[in-house]
Amino acid sequence: MFYAPDTAPIDLPTFKSTISLPYTLTPGKAAGTFLAEMPNRRIVASRFADGSVIAPAQDFSPKDGEEPVELVQAPETGELTGFTRVDGVVLGLVKLDGCRNAFVHRILADMADVKVGQRVAAQWSASDEGTSILAIEGFVIAADAPVGEVKPLVGPAEPLGVINYGMALHYDHAYGPYYGRMFDELKENGVVMGVRGSNADEALLPPREIDDITHKRTGTWKACADTGTIRACSLINMEVYGQTRPVPYAYAEIVLDGASTKMIHIIEIDDLEVAKQQIKPGTRVRAVWTKGERKGAVSDIERFEVIEG
Amino acid sequence: MGREVGIVGVGQTHHARRRTDVSQAGLVREAVDRALADANLSMEDIDTIVIATGPVLFAAVNQPEKWVVDAIGAQGKSVVRLTSGGGAGFAGALAGYYQVAGGYSERTLVVAYDKLSEGQLQYSISTLYDPFWGREFAVGIMGFSAAYWRARMDVLGHTEEAAAMVAAKNRNNAIKNPYAHQKKQVTVEDVLNSKALCWPIKLLDVPPISDGAAAIVLASDKVAHHSTTRPAWIRGMAYCCEADNAPERSLMLSEPLAIASRQVYRAAGITNPRRQFDVVEVQEPYSCFELNYYESLGLCPPGQAAELIASGATQVDGDIPVNPSGGCMGANPIGAVGVIRLIEAATQVMGRNETHQIKDAKTALVQSGGGWANLRGCAVLSA
Amino acid sequence: MGFSQVAVLASAQTELRPAWRDAQHIDLISSVVTNVFKGTGLSIDDVDFVIDSGSDVLDGRSISNCGFLGALGAHHKEEARVEEDGLWGALYGVNKIRSRSSSIGLIVAYSKPSESNIDLYWSAMVEPFYQRPVGFGQKAALGIQAQRYLAAHGIKDDALAEIVARRWADAAVGGKVAMGEAPDAAAVLAGTEAAWPLTDLMISRPLDGAVAVLIGSEDVARRTGRPPVFITGMGTSMETHALAERTANKLDSVANATRMALGKAGWSSGAEADVVELSGSSVVGELMALEGMGIAAEGHGADVATSDKVNRSGGALPADPIMATGLIRLAEAAKKLSAPVAAGASAPSKAIVHGTGGVAMQTNCVFTLEV
Repeated sequence: MFYAPDTAPIDLPTFKSTISLPYTLTPGKAAGTFLAEMPNRRIVASRFADGSVIAPAQDFSPKDGEEPVELVQAPETGELTGFTRVDGVVLGLVKLDGCRNAFVHRILADMADVKVGQRVAAQWSASDEGTSILAIEGFVIAADAPVGEVKPLVGPAEPLGVINYGMALHYDHAYGPYYGRMFDELKENGVVMGVRGSNADEALLPPREIDDITHKRTGTWKACADTGTIRACSLINMEVYGQTRPVPYAYAEIVLDGASTKMIHIIEIDDLEVAKQQIKPGTRVRAVWTKGERKGAVSDIERFEVIEG
Repeated sequence: MGREVGIVGVGQTHHARRRTDVSQAGLVREAVDRALADANLSMEDIDTIVIATGPVLFAAVNQPEKWVVDAIGAQGKSVVRLTSGGGAGFAGALAGYYQVAGGYSERTLVVAYDKLSEGQLQYSISTLYDPFWGREFAVGIMGFSAAYWRARMDVLGHTEEAAAMVAAKNRNNAIKNPYAHQKKQVTVEDVLNSKALCWPIKLLDVPPISDGAAAIVLASDKVAHHSTTRPAWIRGMAYCCEADNAPERSLMLSEPLAIASRQVYRAAGITNPRRQFDVVEVQEPYSCFELNYYESLGLCPPGQAAELIASGATQVDGDIPVNPSGGCMGANPIGAVGVIRLIEAATQVMGRNETHQIKDAKTALVQSGGGWANLRGCAVLSA
Repeated sequence: MGFSQVAVLASAQTELRPAWRDAQHIDLISSVVTNVFKGTGLSIDDVDFVIDSGSDVLDGRSISNCGFLGALGAHHKEEARVEEDGLWGALYGVNKIRSRSSSIGLIVAYSKPSESNIDLYWSAMVEPFYQRPVGFGQKAALGIQAQRYLAAHGIKDDALAEIVARRWADAAVGGKVAMGEAPDAAAVLAGTEAAWPLTDLMISRPLDGAVAVLIGSEDVARRTGRPPVFITGMGTSMETHALAERTANKLDSVANATRMALGKAGWSSGAEADVVELSGSSVVGELMALEGMGIAAEGHGADVATSDKVNRSGGALPADPIMATGLIRLAEAAKKLSAPVAAGASAPSKAIVHGTGGVAMQTNCVFTLEV
């Protein structure tokens, strides 16, 4: 037996959302040195107290967390200890000569030529002069490559303090029956609809099948007014990454008439000092609808404005 | 309770605005090394490990414990990660507490961290908001926190001046904290005159952005004496929540904190918190929150927090010092803060606090929390 | 006062679907939380705490538990988020009840991988300086793991295909997994290449779904009218992040976790179990897990994989609602132990349950259950 929410197919596409942000990541001494040495075409490794060498360089032994005694230069040749192919790209575990470990990198060869124990050699990228491990384009089959040696790292580059990194995650969120109805009503009729709480006449916004407090089934649908009361608010006067409006403006949690829970929106302001007096908990506000065709999103309301008097 | 659990070793990094000499994993290692050394233990003596961090988006590594495990030499051990936004460290410590209390381990290492210099703090936090319903208007957690303060301002008298007193107290306390990185003498007027960021929150109501890690070793009563003759025993600990968008949410008293404290006080035999606690450490991501905690933790009746701070009782030399360490105002590596507050309180009852040792401190209260101020917990420690 | 015993009281799960397009996370969650109490005589008001497992990266929101507290039934209760498979959430909950601080806990796990790019979820999990840029992720790691295992033990992919086909056939019988016709071994072999030598059907199939498991103290369990299924042992172990540094062709962490769990349960071997529910991220991962649990000798996982006691629910290959998969194994095993058997038939009395996490099963968790 399995259970399913009380639902029906929604004829809405998914809601697209992207979370995308820049980062400055610190690699630490070992990886920072390794990456800094990429333009110099040297492979940096870590040597531990027992003499074993790990490549690429690590600040901590992947076996037991031990810290290395020094950074050294690893050779560009080694052998393959395992491999696969994903989306047409061959990835393999490469054990460089003189090193104890293997690490994953691209293998620039056809699968037919790839086998465990195969000798390989690093191929430096012709196009990537940067401080990424992709300055090594990959490893090529090099059956006759002589066995290389680990050498002292002479005049190591300063480790990179930070590298720039970007992460973008894309989502297709399902509306589900409750958000589906709410946003459909918003689009088609310009009405904000919620469902009554399990034991209340006021509507919950956004609507849902189960009441957050009682964990019982919520009630019937109810249209809320596009006027309401500020429950909490603050005056935004700083710029942050990802902000969609110029400052200053008010961030407000508004309880629409007929609802019991908040809707988050903004109120435009001209002057901070005036706004401190005008926009406060209890202030009555009304929605200012966005001009043009409604999209079925919160942004169909452009902003709220204070109801004078 | 199954059995007694004590904090027997502590360690934190020297927190900084930006550490470019260590990776996230290396930062964690520093705190772990210090906590193990403090407990006279090595990693081999540790049965289980709990790692805690703020949201993944802070630093672009999903399930970062899978990477961090190598840096702390915990390969092969029982390792699990807890996350709970700002309260992550505290939530992690609570999970560790139950591992020992429930007999799953004798010694558990809890390490919490965030390296906030690597990402976009407020934007990351804005992604707490429902992508369909309000995210586009979110201003991290600051816009929200300021709004809830504004709601309390008129009703409970949590004025700008009262919050400024909190900010000045904590900032000035942090000056002597060897692990803090924001150390500058400020006056109440300085705070009041600082730039409005999300009014009523102003620049000096806001803690710094920090890179930092903190670790504690928890031990059962059976093995605690191997590490110290004076553990900080956990007499009660709880972490509760409330549904964020609930009609009943008053915005006044923090109900989850009041619920957690009732449970914890009962376990610890606390009937009059103001009189029984020698010292209090709270996580005040903005100065206004400390006023809310005074009331929710029962240090004063609702509506009297402004009087409490004005009375000087919560200053280092008052009868109930709050945040003698400087709290978040000295350093705020968010995910680690819950553990940092535990460390500051534990060292008080162990008699070896490095910032402001409160004389004869025997019983300490710790508060922590996260989310939309709807995840809240507290703990009572005593020697 | 000693520790309390802890029992599985009840469970509820949604159908596992490639995409629950007509339901949101909260709909799936509240559905299982509402239904887990049916027939137990208990209600949400009896629950002392909620532990939930979900992923911010999969959910597309930070501290996602924070927005789902109402659906979780957690309002004004103690709540914790373990960002790992729900079996680790259960581990937390069991410790809490064992310590006697609480008597009834609700463990919830869910995910909707259909809403995001699953490859990004995995690639974000690997270290960002060396591994992520070269395109390493879950598929590549499972492929390399399989290539080495097959080579070391001389196992052919048709043997793997037979096992996969059996899992799908069992899942079809169970009826909880949305699927078309279950693929036979030939279809498994003919599938597109996911990561050589594995075809896409040899890797666990991400699905949307949720599961809730109610656990309670012995005292509570004895009052619910059915023979309690006790959790008698638990263990978990995490290996190094570096795939190549892990012992080749073995999952040491499964062996470690099993050792911990068996030590507490007082069993001499995982082979004592009458019911085995495990979560392989790939079919080769399943074999290595069976070997790690001591149910098969090294390299001989395939010999027992299709036995009647192993993964009769179908396991993770046909249905892997990431974050919930291991907790579903616990639910399935508990149901097998508590289900009545025909007169004269021998009832299973012991089960071993396995959950996994991380790239190429870096971390593993093992529970023992007994009636």
